[in-house]
Amino acid sequence: MKAATPTLLGLLGVLLLALPLRLFYGGVPTPILPLVVVFFWSVYAPDFLPSPSIFAIGLLQDFLTGGPLGLWPAVYLFTQYIVLSQRSYFLGREQRVVWLGFAFAAAAASVILWLAMSLLSGVLLPIRGLAFQMATTALVYPVFSGAFSHLHRRVLVES
Amino acid sequence: MDVLGQNRREGLGRKANSRFVLLLMMLVSAVLLLSSLYSAEASVFRKARESVIDAAAPVLEVLARPIAYIQGLVGDVRDYFNVLEQNQALREENAELRQWMNEALHLRETIAVYERLQTYHAPPEATPIDGFVIGESNDAFARSMLVNAGAADGVRRGQAVVDDMGLVGRIVEVGAHASRLLLLTDIQSRVPVYVEEAGVEGILVGRTKARPAIRFTENSDPIPFTPGQRVMTSGSGGTMPRGLAVGVIAGERDGEAIVDLYANYARTRMVRILVYEFPAFEPASALETMAEDVEGGAVESGAIVVGPTGAD
Repeated sequence: MKAATPTLLGLLGVLLLALPLRLFYGGVPTPILPLVVVFFWSVYAPDFLPSPSIFAIGLLQDFLTGGPLGLWPAVYLFTQYIVLSQRSYFLGREQRVVWLGFAFAAAAASVILWLAMSLLSGVLLPIRGLAFQMATTALVYPVFSGAFSHLHRRVLVES
Repeated sequence: MDVLGQNRREGLGRKANSRFVLLLMMLVSAVLLLSSLYSAEASVFRKARESVIDAAAPVLEVLARPIAYIQGLVGDVRDYFNVLEQNQALREENAELRQWMNEALHLRETIAVYERLQTYHAPPEATPIDGFVIGESNDAFARSMLVNAGAADGVRRGQAVVDDMGLVGRIVEVGAHASRLLLLTDIQSRVPVYVEEAGVEGILVGRTKARPAIRFTENSDPIPFTPGQRVMTSGSGGTMPRGLAVGVIAGERDGEAIVDLYANYARTRMVRILVYEFPAFEPASALETMAEDVEGGAVESGAIVVGPTGAD
């Protein structure tokens, strides 16, 4: 059950994305919390968030946002792929460095998302909205990574 | 926090295996993406989407309730700071609306007289289905909302959705008790519209930006529209009724008109889905009634009578 917590957190993040939260009267986009979940557990404990779980999280997001199926699974899995390849660099680093790493990963994910959606719709889409949303996500990353690491150390690994 | 990463060897043994699963899942999602792209309308995908909407609707509805409550409680914080100015603005608007009301009442009377003419056939009225917005795709490239009304309530694909401001979008997926409405700003949104006064028809195309654009069907001549003119649904294509308010022209770019929508998506909470049956047109019977009307008096005076004389 404890091992499933990151997956459940990811699914919860997707639900938050599907809710009409409208932070600051629609002025601030909802942060993409599943991306934080995927990044965090891919760095610190990939065994707690296996690829099929990530696939499920992404697929639910596709279903709830109404986008093409397979898009968000691809983005999240790609993020995990990048993170796993850089994992030995991230481990044991200062939080600020990991935060910067997340910002880079978010930027890479945005570019992929933008390229894929532009290809699918046949026009170059404006990237500003996505960039704003990713920036918001990167900005709130420390808050959630702090909470997640607390959760991981105190609840998931202990006992 | 730094303690977390100290154990570098966790999971190293299964590394190769998990890497293989990861690549496999990436391949699966790529294949899924391509297949859903080439058969987006396939019944399997559609059914899956609609059943997921149905399954998620109760959860979203429960979660959306406290959000709506808090937002209603707090209100727009800015409102507290400019109560006086807002009051003044509302008073002015009220005076203006009073004049409009008088004009509308007068027009209603005039129209009632015309409607009593025999040749007049009133267009069918749309029956509304009310619903609440329970979900929203907070996605940069997909703009849609979930509404808690579905096929069981009479919702069908293609129906127009309005709120108190104007047109919001149209229904694209229908579950049993929930449905998805595509907003006018979505890249896939296409709505036939016309520009009032200018009298030109076009297609309102979403651009994933706040303001969609009208693509005109005849592009050879410079299109005579000016900022400030109203944009309404034209009813072409046969799903939406004609004359739903969409927005006003904001400007021009590359031969397309940029439209300021009446709908404010940050505030859309209660919506109305319009069930509209286009009048079935039967050429033969229509001609007959026309002939009858002409025989019934209009011919003698030499012209078609317009006015209360032809009324019962």
